[in-house]
Amino acid sequence: MRLNTIFYCIGQGLKNIRRHLLFTLASIATITACVLLFSVVYCVLVNLRYTMQTVEETVGITVFFEKDLSEDEIQEIGAQIGERPEIREMRFISGDEAWEIFSQDYLEGAEEMAEDFAGDNPLADMASYEIFLNNVEDQAEFVSWLETVPGVRRVNASSIAAGGMIDLNNAVGYVSIGLIGILLCVSVFLIHNAISMAISARRDEIRIMRLVGATKAFIRTPFLVEGLFIGLLGAAIPLGLVFFLYGRVIAYMEEHLAILAGFMSFLPVQEIMKVLIPVAAALGVGIGLLGSATSVRRHLKV
Amino acid sequence: MIDFENVSKTFGKNVRAVRNLSLHIEEGEFVFVMGDSGSGKSTLIRLLLKEIEPTEGQIIVDGEKLVGMKRRRVPYYRRKLGVVFQDFKLLKDRNVYENVAFAQRVVVTPSRQIRKDVPRILTRVGLSAKYKAFPNELSGGEQQRVAIARALVNQPDILLCDEPTGNLDSRNAWEVMQLLEEINAGGTTVVVVTHSQEIVERMGKRVIVMNRGDMIDDRQISGSEE
Repeated sequence: MRLNTIFYCIGQGLKNIRRHLLFTLASIATITACVLLFSVVYCVLVNLRYTMQTVEETVGITVFFEKDLSEDEIQEIGAQIGERPEIREMRFISGDEAWEIFSQDYLEGAEEMAEDFAGDNPLADMASYEIFLNNVEDQAEFVSWLETVPGVRRVNASSIAAGGMIDLNNAVGYVSIGLIGILLCVSVFLIHNAISMAISARRDEIRIMRLVGATKAFIRTPFLVEGLFIGLLGAAIPLGLVFFLYGRVIAYMEEHLAILAGFMSFLPVQEIMKVLIPVAAALGVGIGLLGSATSVRRHLKV
Repeated sequence: MIDFENVSKTFGKNVRAVRNLSLHIEEGEFVFVMGDSGSGKSTLIRLLLKEIEPTEGQIIVDGEKLVGMKRRRVPYYRRKLGVVFQDFKLLKDRNVYENVAFAQRVVVTPSRQIRKDVPRILTRVGLSAKYKAFPNELSGGEQQRVAIARALVNQPDILLCDEPTGNLDSRNAWEVMQLLEEINAGGTTVVVVTHSQEIVERMGKRVIVMNRGDMIDDRQISGSEE
């Protein structure tokens, strides 16, 4: 296709948007509704995931060692454990640190009691490693391995918390895929119908184009341009809405739904938009193009 | 120029629109195709436009075989043809100039050429003064003239007219026929489908008569132009 033909097709696509304003508005409204719904679902899911990640970070494993091991020997075993790829973070807590933490947590206000133990740390044999994994799903297997490491006396891990996290994670994943799949199908169906109506109204125009000798690409391109712009506009409106309303909704939740807001962790809007802008734009453009292409195809068969 | 070789066209299982038709039309000829509704005359136009395929036989236009023609080639074949319909099929949201220019734009004619060709063809069909008018501001005869201008602007070798006077009163119908005769005099092959006996007799051209898919007559008649 020559350059001036491409410009002509783009120009026609844009003119068609104005010529058939009602259909254009109906199509934009359809895509806007779909992309907005997708964006809202995305915001909810991504924040749920983020909340879970935050909770996951607090689910740790504590490893205790045999009482007759020196601190150097414990740190040697620690180095061996530290080579495992599942580990995100690992921290050594000596017997003295353990006592200090215990004193702060449980003996605050009873410092005299704590002083009674001065020089005789009751937790001297309780040196440990606190371990956080990259993925909480690896916990069960990792704990089994830890229990086989020579010198390890006990491993503390909350299997209920970890199991719950895995279940919630999976549930959120499946729900997201299901919802987004349904939304996509509904969007393509709606936009296909909207553009079909628009194209039906232009049946004569397409027939004349065909009979005068226009190529299929020439006939199709203005409709694709139209679908592209409708898709872009349909995506831009919900993106703008999400950008301006996201912070306000969170502020409202923090003010009026304190229990929920206290449990949830929210991503900043910039983080949300980083993913949402390209995905929503691709979604809008994809729906617009797919709707146009499938609708115009029917009229190009002869 | 146009050859139908044993062409049949059946719609569905039993509806025979054209039966075993063999026909030759010379370059520069003016031919009427007559017949009642359902006689198969409009099917001939659709076959020539390659909107439908024959069930049997071959059609050859300007040396090109239509049966077996590659889809990619079809738009370029159609550029050899101009077509006029009974209901004009003008774009209502565009004025006379834009309707005619549309036919050139879609075959990627340079804008400079369009600016030269459209006024020339509008003058030829007698509508140069109304180039800004929209279809709903024109009479039936004028609308058909715009449709003819649109069909001619790409200088086709063949002009196909499907009941071009069907929606016109007798004065406008006669004016349109005279315009078609002028076009034919310029060398364009003209095929007109009509059921108007009166026009056929007044024009005095070759007439092919169809009945239930069969060609029952093909003769030259002498005209009685006023």
